[in-house]
Amino acid sequence: MTGVQPTAIMSGRYQRAFTIAVVFLVVGWHLAGAGGQLLHNRPAYGSFALQGAMWLVMALAIAAGSVLVLRGTPAWRPAWAVAVIALAASTAAAAASPASQMLAVNWAWGSAGWTGVLVLLRRRFTELACFLAAEAAATLGVQVWDGLHRTDLAGFLAVLAWSTGAQVAVAAGVKALDGAAGQAAAAARSEHAARERAATAEVIRAARHARWLALQESTVPLVAELAAGTADPGDPRVRTRCAVQAARLRRLLAEGDEVPGSLVHELHASADVAERRGVAVEIETAGPLPPVPGPARRVITDAAIAILTAARSKARITLARAATGIAVSFVADTGAAVRLPAVGEGVAIEQQQDGGMLWAEARWNSR
Amino acid sequence: MEQPVTVAIIEDHPVVTEGVASWIRSDPGRRVRLVQTARELTGLHAMPREPADVVILDLELSGELVTGEIPGLVAAGYRVVAFSGHSDPAIVMETLDNGAHAYVSKEEGRDHLVEAVLAAAADRPYVTRSQARAILADERPARPALSEQERQALLLWFQGMSKASVGRRMSISENTVRQYISRARAKYAATGRTAPSKDALLARAIEDGVIKPGEIVPYRSFARAGPGRSHPPGHPGPLNDPGHPSPPDLPPQR
Repeated sequence: MTGVQPTAIMSGRYQRAFTIAVVFLVVGWHLAGAGGQLLHNRPAYGSFALQGAMWLVMALAIAAGSVLVLRGTPAWRPAWAVAVIALAASTAAAAASPASQMLAVNWAWGSAGWTGVLVLLRRRFTELACFLAAEAAATLGVQVWDGLHRTDLAGFLAVLAWSTGAQVAVAAGVKALDGAAGQAAAAARSEHAARERAATAEVIRAARHARWLALQESTVPLVAELAAGTADPGDPRVRTRCAVQAARLRRLLAEGDEVPGSLVHELHASADVAERRGVAVEIETAGPLPPVPGPARRVITDAAIAILTAARSKARITLARAATGIAVSFVADTGAAVRLPAVGEGVAIEQQQDGGMLWAEARWNSR
Repeated sequence: MEQPVTVAIIEDHPVVTEGVASWIRSDPGRRVRLVQTARELTGLHAMPREPADVVILDLELSGELVTGEIPGLVAAGYRVVAFSGHSDPAIVMETLDNGAHAYVSKEEGRDHLVEAVLAAAADRPYVTRSQARAILADERPARPALSEQERQALLLWFQGMSKASVGRRMSISENTVRQYISRARAKYAATGRTAPSKDALLARAIEDGVIKPGEIVPYRSFARAGPGRSHPPGHPGPLNDPGHPSPPDLPPQR
């Protein structure tokens, strides 16, 4: 078997790779970018301890967000919980910065934005847009509170364009790559399906051929004899042969149906023939049954045909799970023992005669 | 002669009611007397002409499955024999778990219904082939543990052999076959929800020597946490019921 990867797994693997890349990006930014800025501007802060604490809160939010996204697309509650914590931490850090140089020493805006990208990446794009807008508004709000000058506004717009622009670009890029991975997976899926169809067609063709060969051996000679008049339809033996061949034909047809391997299905086909002869046939199963391989099924259905053909007025067929396999039993008023093979293809057949009733059981074990 | 067992039929199809009544009439010993018929459950409560020992209940009345009504009937003191066209093992199991004494499918009615009613009236187990099938098909984790012999007897019975043939096949007496099958049924009475009918069946099984008290400790699944099987107040369990002391000499069970 060639290992065609299930497509959902394949496209999922790509998506996970993109997620890991974003996690690295965000963690890297927070450690090197934000952390570096924080240490570099250390003397400028009113309280370095507060800034450090906010940086740690942001780091924890990023860690929690990473765990969330590596587990799959987060639900809105945990995703937004992380985002709101990042927003609060960055606003607090901005508010505690010295008024005149808030933007110059601000490490938090970028980190908060990337945290939002991390947790909202695979959710609707508008959610990320709302978050980034809220983040920008909060930073601008702090600046307005501190007293907004024209140069500050220009600086704000520059940082907005650079930082938020990069975040939006990364988010859009990952969305595009997700789409491409989905398409690649769909292509692989259709190829896999085509290969499977071809393989199924081959199996069906082989099964048809086998059935045709089986008919050549048994049914065709009988039909030929009937046509030539050498077999007399009035002869009970010829009638029995006809009944058996009719049952076999039905069974072979049943084998080709949509439910390959259904023993019950095949037994039903055999029962139909007996019913036409006026034999009442019950078929009952007890519980879920294990699948039985083809050759063993054939031994069982051959036994069924032999017993049903000998049945005079009634027959009961039951299927039940037994140990590691299946027990198919027949109770019929045959009047006498029926010639059955004792064993074949892993199937053991036993029978017992009680008055006019025959009990026979075919057991197949997987081990 | 003993008093005949009184029976009520709850069945929404008059033709079926008529058929059941004719089976009851044609019983040579006249062991069962039909006292009431109703087309729905409310009819049973409406006309208390004469108390019925056993209720033959069609499980589907006016297109609705009424297995959920069985506990109410059992609590009212009726013994219930379910008679249904449904032979789905899950429904059979639910019916028995709800406290019905026996389950007879409509195909089995002619041969088994009167006997099942008589067994129910005596609180004795009666296992039809469809019940055997449901037990064999049972794969619930909380199912009782059956012995290999009990399972084999149930399987051969389900397959369609007469009990005498099952005995010959297993090289045991027909009576022992009945004992194995009854014991399997009694084990089921010891599991699931509690019902006075189950307790009565178990007590009778112990009295008859079908099962020893030690054998009916129900399989306890970890899903069934708690102190164990509880009995409703005023209804002592069969194990400590002073009215039914277990006989000192149980017949040998091989």
